[in-house]
This record gives sequence, C-alpha cells and structure tokens, in this order.
Amino acid sequence: MKIDQQEILNTLKTVTDPDLHRDIVSLGFVKNIAIQNGNVRFDLELTTPACPVKDQLKQECESKIKNLPGVSSVEINMTSHVRGRADFGQSTVLPKVRNIVAIASGKGGVGKSTVTANLALALAKTGARVGLLDCDVYGPSMPIMFGLVGKQPDVTQEQILPLQAHGISLMSIGFLSTEKTPVIWRGPMVHQILQQFLTRVEWGELDYLMLDLPPGTGDAQLTLTQTAAISGAVIVTTPQEVSLIDARKGLQMFEKVNVPVLGLIENMSYFSCPDCGKVTQIFKRGGAEKMSQELGVPLLGEIPIDPEIVETGDEGKPIVIAKPDSQSAKIYQIIAGAVAAQLSIAHMQESSNSPVDIKWQANKL
Amino acid sequence: MASQQIINPIEIKQGSGQNLIIRWQDGHESDYASDYLRKHCRCALCVDEWTGANLLKPDQIKPDVHPIQIQSVGRYGIRINWSDGHNTGIYTFKYLREICPCRICEE
Repeated sequence: MKIDQQEILNTLKTVTDPDLHRDIVSLGFVKNIAIQNGNVRFDLELTTPACPVKDQLKQECESKIKNLPGVSSVEINMTSHVRGRADFGQSTVLPKVRNIVAIASGKGGVGKSTVTANLALALAKTGARVGLLDCDVYGPSMPIMFGLVGKQPDVTQEQILPLQAHGISLMSIGFLSTEKTPVIWRGPMVHQILQQFLTRVEWGELDYLMLDLPPGTGDAQLTLTQTAAISGAVIVTTPQEVSLIDARKGLQMFEKVNVPVLGLIENMSYFSCPDCGKVTQIFKRGGAEKMSQELGVPLLGEIPIDPEIVETGDEGKPIVIAKPDSQSAKIYQIIAGAVAAQLSIAHMQESSNSPVDIKWQANKL
Repeated sequence: MASQQIINPIEIKQGSGQNLIIRWQDGHESDYASDYLRKHCRCALCVDEWTGANLLKPDQIKPDVHPIQIQSVGRYGIRINWSDGHNTGIYTFKYLREICPCRICEE
C-alpha cells in the first residue's frame, strides 16, 4: 500500500503542542516531508531549541506515523527556529535580538543574578544563541560569576564588543570600571549608561538576550522598558512574605508598561540535604505558588538552597556549567525550557506590536 | 494577564488632516484632533505629579499645534514631538483609549 503526503499531514494534525494548544501542522512545525518505499522522513521545526516537550512531541509523531499502514520506518529531524518579537529586524534598538527577557525582583538579595546567569547558560546549552546584559549598575555581579574580573571589552567610538564566557556574550558595567566610575549613581547617569548598553553593544544575532535588572522598581527599570521592546519579564522571589509583597510590585510595574510577565521563579525554596536527601522547608513553602495562582501568572519553577550554587558562582563557573549533572543544574535546565516555552506562547498571543514612527505632515488638509 | 486587560492598537496613523487615528485590537477606531491630544498631555510639566491639578492653561495651546514626529515608547505607548517644542509626555495606550473622544466612549 502506498502512503501519500496528505495522509502524513492528516495524522500529524492530531499531534498538539501542549503549550501552544494548537496542532503542529497548522503551527507550521512540519517541514520537508519525504516518502520513499515506506520510509517517512520530515523535519520538526520547534519555536525554541529549549522546548521542554521536545522528546514528547517527537515520540508522539513517531508512534502515530509508524502505525499508519504502509509505513515501515520513520525519521524525524528535530530543528528549531526561534521566533522573534514583533519589531525584530525593524527596531533601532537591538534589531538583531529575537527575544529580550528581563529578569527582575522586587527586592535585593533574592539571588536574581545567580538565577539569570544559570538560566542564560542553560538556554545556551540547548543550542540557542544567548547574551547577558548585567543592568545592575549599583552592584554588578556578572564579572565574578563568569570569572572575568578585571577583563575589559573592546570599546571603539561606535561600539562596545561584549566579552565571551562559557558560550555566551556578556556585558556589565563591571567591565568598564575605572577609578573614574562613580560610586554613587544619579538617576540621569543610570539612564545614560543603560541606553549606551542597549544601543552600542554589538551583540551580533541573538535568540535570547537576558537582562539582569537591578532590584526594585525605579529609574533603571523604567529606562529599559522605555528604550527596548522587552519580550517578557521573569520575576524572581523567595518564599518570605516581604519578598512576595515586593515581587507583586514588580509585576504591577511590568503590567503598567505592557511587558508580559512570563512567570515567577521561587529561589531558595527549600533545602535538600546532600547526605540524606531530606527536604527541609526553611521558609514557609508555597508563597510563590499561591501568588502565581492569585495573579494568574505561571510559576516557572522552584530552586533549592544549595551551597554548590553559591560556590560555583563565586568561582566563576555557574553550576549549570560546573556541575551539569547535579540536581540544581537539572532544575535550571527545566526552568530555562519553561521560560522559552512561555516566550513562544507570548509571541503567539501578540497581535501586531510593530514600532510606530510617524513623520507628521503639517500641511495635510 | 488576568487582572487588567490592556487593549493594544493595531494601527496608528495620521488621518486625512491634522488628526491621529488609532485602530484597536477590538475593532474600535479612535480619531483625535491634534490640539485635543496636546491638551491631554499627562507629563509632569502639564499635570502636577502630586495633586493631579492641570497646569496647562487651555489658551496656552494654539489651535494649529500639531505633532512633528510620533515614536513608540517601549511597547506600551507613544511619545509625541510637538510643533510648540513640547516633547516630555508619554501617551500610554491605556490612557489614549480612555480619552477616546468618540461618542460611544464618552458616555
């Protein structure tokens, strides 16, 4: 019995992406179908290499096609094409960056920089092109976490070249520090340096640019959201009530500037004993989960208190790189997938959000 | 997001004369006269930030005031460079929808 392309497509139409809630054929994932003597080959092009349901989708396609009469073997080539924000390519700010993700927290000390560094590296490990911009002018921590203290980027009149470490591009105010760098930052100076970072750093083509925001809801956050079209924000919190109250403020800020909140990450969620594996709830558990339900934003994941996360960061090699097989690294990898999936969802819902630039005609009647 | 739905514009353009037209996601269309928009500027120079009192005297605005250029602000609003030199106001999409001058919205 001979099998034809339409039959394959009809069958693949019954496979639904669990995040995007649409079948993979109308999503345009299925490409280059080739049929030869009962052997079926095609590409499955996902919206991100970090897709958390990659294997599940592949398996489902495989088994469904294999069950068709006349099919003897199936070969699926998994690829990805990261979808960009609506103004990708047209914007004057970061035109070659497909997704700009802001990592924020309502208050300091929740481990936001550690989370950002590990998420960026976890995304890069899936094959995505990733950049990290440390926007914390008050206390930049990326130079330490990537073992680049004292390193300086190439700066020319027009552009700043980011530094490279563990497979990602990095920029931080920490790389530009001289004796002349101010210790106290006035509002307008914060604005100026962040604008320079957004317009002058030569990132090249990126799938994801992660912005490590300074804590709080102030000048820096405002400058960033007004200058760049941020694709989505992730809010990092800890289980304590005070942290949650501030996280809520962060959420409201992004709502005001129309940046979709991709979800919450609860850091320092619990302690899992490395010897016996017993889980201890140091703080009250479930605060972020409750908040995510209340506010209708996803909880992307819970990261345990793990001395190794801190140690590896201090040594310039975050845990995702230093101990990729550890429990904590695996959790980061899962959360990175969740972030990428939420971005894909946000793009699906986005209508037309192309940038406005109108030159007014004053003599028009 | 569940809490408050923001209606986004689909298209923002100059109308046939000195007016700005916004077509919204929900099919609604708003038509703003230039001087109306200028009078509704919410920036700190036009509206007192603490009391909310209007600092702009209506007769300060010339009837022929018009934009020179209009640009996006992030993904939530637009900034207008006015012919009278004013340019500090950000008009958020939410606010623009609120001040839609059509009769249906006014009611």
